[in-house]
Amino acid sequence: MSKREKLKSADVGNILLSRGTGICMLIILFMLGLRAPLFFDLNNIMTVLKQGSVLTMIALGLTTVLIGGGFDMGAGALVQFTCNLAAGMLIAGTSVAAVLTSGIAVGLLIGILNAFLVIVIKIPTFVSTLGTMFILQGMTSWYNDGKALTINAIDGFSVLGQGRIAIVPVIFLIVIAVCVILNFLFKHTSIGLRMYATGENAAAAKLRGINTSKYLLLSYVLSGVILGFTGVLQCSYNYGATAVISGMDFLIQALSAAYLGSTFSKTGELSVIGTVISGMFIAAMSNALIINGISNQQISGVLGLILILSILLTVIKKREIGQVTIF
Amino acid sequence: MNVEQLKKEETLSRERVLGFIARHGAIIGICGVLIIFQIIEPRFMRIENILGVLNSSSLLIIMTFGMTMVMSVKGIDLSIAQVADAAGVVAAMLILSGHNFIVAILGALLFGMIIGILNAVLISYLGIPAIIGTLGMMFIVRSVELTMTDGAQPQILFTLPAARVKDFFFIGQESVGPVSVLVILTVAIIIIMYLVKERSVFGRHMDALCGNVKASLLAGVNVRRVFAATFIISSLLAALAGIMLVSRSGNAVPRGVETYLTDCFVAVYIGTLVSVRNKFNIIGSVIGALFVGFLSNFFTLMGMGIAYKNIFNGIFIILAVALGVLKSKINS
Repeated sequence: MSKREKLKSADVGNILLSRGTGICMLIILFMLGLRAPLFFDLNNIMTVLKQGSVLTMIALGLTTVLIGGGFDMGAGALVQFTCNLAAGMLIAGTSVAAVLTSGIAVGLLIGILNAFLVIVIKIPTFVSTLGTMFILQGMTSWYNDGKALTINAIDGFSVLGQGRIAIVPVIFLIVIAVCVILNFLFKHTSIGLRMYATGENAAAAKLRGINTSKYLLLSYVLSGVILGFTGVLQCSYNYGATAVISGMDFLIQALSAAYLGSTFSKTGELSVIGTVISGMFIAAMSNALIINGISNQQISGVLGLILILSILLTVIKKREIGQVTIF
Repeated sequence: MNVEQLKKEETLSRERVLGFIARHGAIIGICGVLIIFQIIEPRFMRIENILGVLNSSSLLIIMTFGMTMVMSVKGIDLSIAQVADAAGVVAAMLILSGHNFIVAILGALLFGMIIGILNAVLISYLGIPAIIGTLGMMFIVRSVELTMTDGAQPQILFTLPAARVKDFFFIGQESVGPVSVLVILTVAIIIIMYLVKERSVFGRHMDALCGNVKASLLAGVNVRRVFAATFIISSLLAALAGIMLVSRSGNAVPRGVETYLTDCFVAVYIGTLVSVRNKFNIIGSVIGALFVGFLSNFFTLMGMGIAYKNIFNGIFIILAVALGVLKSKINS
């Protein structure tokens, strides 16, 4: 009898651990929504999905690097740079295809640069991506000269960020497509599984004969491509680029999404699906908080709190000291 | 002389050149950059300009110390710039609401200490990776600060009657003889931090923690406490820097100090080059911070904006660490 009870409580614990994040998210959104019924409006939900898409894309790019065992301080800065680049090119009258290609190409180049610094020169990931972050921020303010670059609606381009198919925003469908592709890559191909192995324990992966540098390179390149593309998307979504350097703000939101997503798994494993759900949750919560009358300034604090709490869920059991090994 | 000998000599001389670059490259590089600046802009090395740079670098030096302490035990503190910012605002608000300067300074330091304790508990006792914990804390502090100041309203002190702010401005605007109080205070902090980091038992424990956590635990070092203490020290130093800044400029602009975070990183990493084993160290950090100070000053003199400063910061940080990697390769 007592054995069965023990089992039961263990089950409850397991369910709470594996489903706890999801349940908490639903409860939070439901409670916030109760105070402002407008939140549950179908139109508002679609707006939330649209608002969260850019953030979720950045988080997906970051998750890719994190899975491969790297880190990227410059994720937000890269997105902002390609966003400015795209806006500038569109103002100059370049075709949409060229803008998309150049955004992705810049992302690819930065990915290769990061990988080169980390793998060949052996600079720790934190410092090398910090360096590229500075360079990207500098290039952004050099490129836009401290001014916002705004564009008008352009056929075939604005549809990326602003268009809707039926009622669903196109940008959200893009996020879903990228998520499905990445999920297939990471969970169902040997390349993806080896990337996971490299990130979890590089030394062990090496002993098993995995070429860890190759997979780290791959994760940087892949993430660079995603982030470069995200910049172009953001340009379409915002009708241009802002001059405010907001790379760090993007970074914290994307990190929150990635780590909150990792709490869906019992072992704290990062996953692209978790990242997408968490990214959308963060957007929904920001939206609900604003509807409830919380100001923009306080939301970044709430996000900081979420970041800390979500990571706490996964580390509280081990309770090591929080040393950082990436520099 | 046969071919083999020649080859051997060639590799030897190559090693010697590489070794020379690794050992003295940093100092030569820093001096070289400063000389180039002087050639481009003759106003650069004037005595008034140098004194100005020393004065304005003092804040950066103090903030860099915090970062040095945390990073030398493999932690990191991304919240320092925000803490300095908020502590300055706290001090300014206390003065504005009619308190005297002692209350203002103690209040700001207390604020820094509270944030430091929070960081320490989260990171050292609960095990959150430092980079995440302090990033989160940075945004929480920013949020609190913006709410407190009603959306980044600057707190202006220099319009108050002189009698009310004279004592508070003493730190930042007065000088004893030819040397400003700011510089005296900074030198005092440099000496204290040097003794703590390089010449005390606590400093030795920090070294042990950097090397191997398990071994230092077995050797009887209270790992958690040492790790936690570095976070409290760094927040306290950041709060001090914030007070100094407000006292110097006479007003506290929310989010005005944020760029110091990136400068800190550059200073700390340039500082590692001064030590033989690429360790984070106090003297190196002073040199690094002064270099960053001169760098920003040069760009201001030339009228070049934040763009160039950011790009050069990035290049210098990568160069510094690449040189460090080269050095450790040659040492081994």
